[in-house]
Amino acid sequence: MSEPIIRLENVGVAFNAQLRVGSPRFWALEDVSLSLQRGERLGVVGRNGSGKSTLLRTIAGIITPDRGRLTRAPVSCQLLSLALGFVPHLSGRDNAMLSGLMLGLRRREILQRLAAIHEFSELGDFFDQPISSYSTGMQMRLGFSVAIQVEPDVLLIDEVLAVGDAEFQQKSGAALRERINSGTTVVFVSHGDAQVHQICDRALWIEHGRSMMEGSVEAVLAAYHAAQQTPVAAGG
Amino acid sequence: MRLHLIELILFSTYAELRAERARSYLGLLWWIVEPAMNMATYYLVFAVIFKTGEPDYLPFLLIGLTLWQWFKSCISHGGYSIWQQLPLIRQVKLPLQVFPSVQILADTVKFLCILALLLVVLWCSGHPPNITYVALLPVLLVELIFVAAATYVVAAVVPLVPDLRFVIEQVLQVVMFLSGVVFSLDGLPPGLRRWFELNPLVELLDAGRAILMRAQWPNWSALGRVALISLALYALGTFLITRLTPRYVKLPT
Repeated sequence: MSEPIIRLENVGVAFNAQLRVGSPRFWALEDVSLSLQRGERLGVVGRNGSGKSTLLRTIAGIITPDRGRLTRAPVSCQLLSLALGFVPHLSGRDNAMLSGLMLGLRRREILQRLAAIHEFSELGDFFDQPISSYSTGMQMRLGFSVAIQVEPDVLLIDEVLAVGDAEFQQKSGAALRERINSGTTVVFVSHGDAQVHQICDRALWIEHGRSMMEGSVEAVLAAYHAAQQTPVAAGG
Repeated sequence: MRLHLIELILFSTYAELRAERARSYLGLLWWIVEPAMNMATYYLVFAVIFKTGEPDYLPFLLIGLTLWQWFKSCISHGGYSIWQQLPLIRQVKLPLQVFPSVQILADTVKFLCILALLLVVLWCSGHPPNITYVALLPVLLVELIFVAAATYVVAAVVPLVPDLRFVIEQVLQVVMFLSGVVFSLDGLPPGLRRWFELNPLVELLDAGRAILMRAQWPNWSALGRVALISLALYALGTFLITRLTPRYVKLPT
């Protein structure tokens, strides 16, 4: 097997609980280990508050671990974020440029893709109107249309697979699946078994910030659900 | 990577200015009207009511306030920029110097508009352009470095101690009076004035007034000293932001 492009060894991440002198820190991640190969699609399962989102942001390099070791090959990681840096008084076009730049695209790359963003978002003439006049669904459509233009080495997805109304959900879901199936390395956080089954080759279960099990999707989901039904595991 | 960041800073600055224009009826006019009202207030209080003015008090005050306002708005806007962008910082990995830089650039664009107006007022009131205007460029460049440096340091610290927001405006008010913006520091005993001159703004205001009011070259050695202090402070600000970045994302929401 080739060298992993991302490897976490016993990683812990602590946050400040309050803005108080001497306030205790809480460990959102206690002890998580994983390794990610190029082209692999890893599903992360766990209950709310188990540290899944913190794990994604640690892999993205946004959060630095407080203990343990994180090694990353020189690859670009993108957390799929919609409406990143949107400014209400600016037009959809300007916000697409701003958001694209924040996601790491160059200006000329965005200019080349503006027509595609405009078309995909289905905003029509609204594209040149301030986004303060948009509905939430329209903003999400624009946000998704920009985010899907970025082609990172590692795509990190936190639950969001499809946005907007039923029709756009189908379209955005299809675009994202196409990206996922095109060989991009993916880490996908989800509650839904079906999606993890559909997308991922491997899965990691984390609980209270600790990695409990890493392996095949079937085995990990089976162990995860078995633990949910026992009173001890369900208590925390 | 560097070019990408420059593109991001420039476009964000454009976005900031454009959004600001859209937030009010008078839009861009406020860039001029607001500082003009501010200057008129100071003139009314100190020159007309208290008659504290010396000869040529109007240009003295206008130059002081124009250069001061640049510094103050950068601190007031850029100093809070990282703190205000914490939700965004939790979503994307970016060098955080971007956020104060955007505010500094936006305020510098506004400053240049006010400076242009100031020059017209000065020419109309008997202080025509002169050869020493050449020195304005280095003086403004040094002030830009100083402004950026101070803004970076404030921007680095505010997210960790947001309480500073309640103190900064008061501190700025005191610094304004200690920098000779409204009152001339020439009346101070020379021993005491030397202490005041440790404040880079005092030298920068002196240099600006020398050029614009008296057609005199600035004190180059003083300007060089301010440039060195500013560069050192700039390095400190950059270091602090880089060093503290891992802590910002772990602050409570």
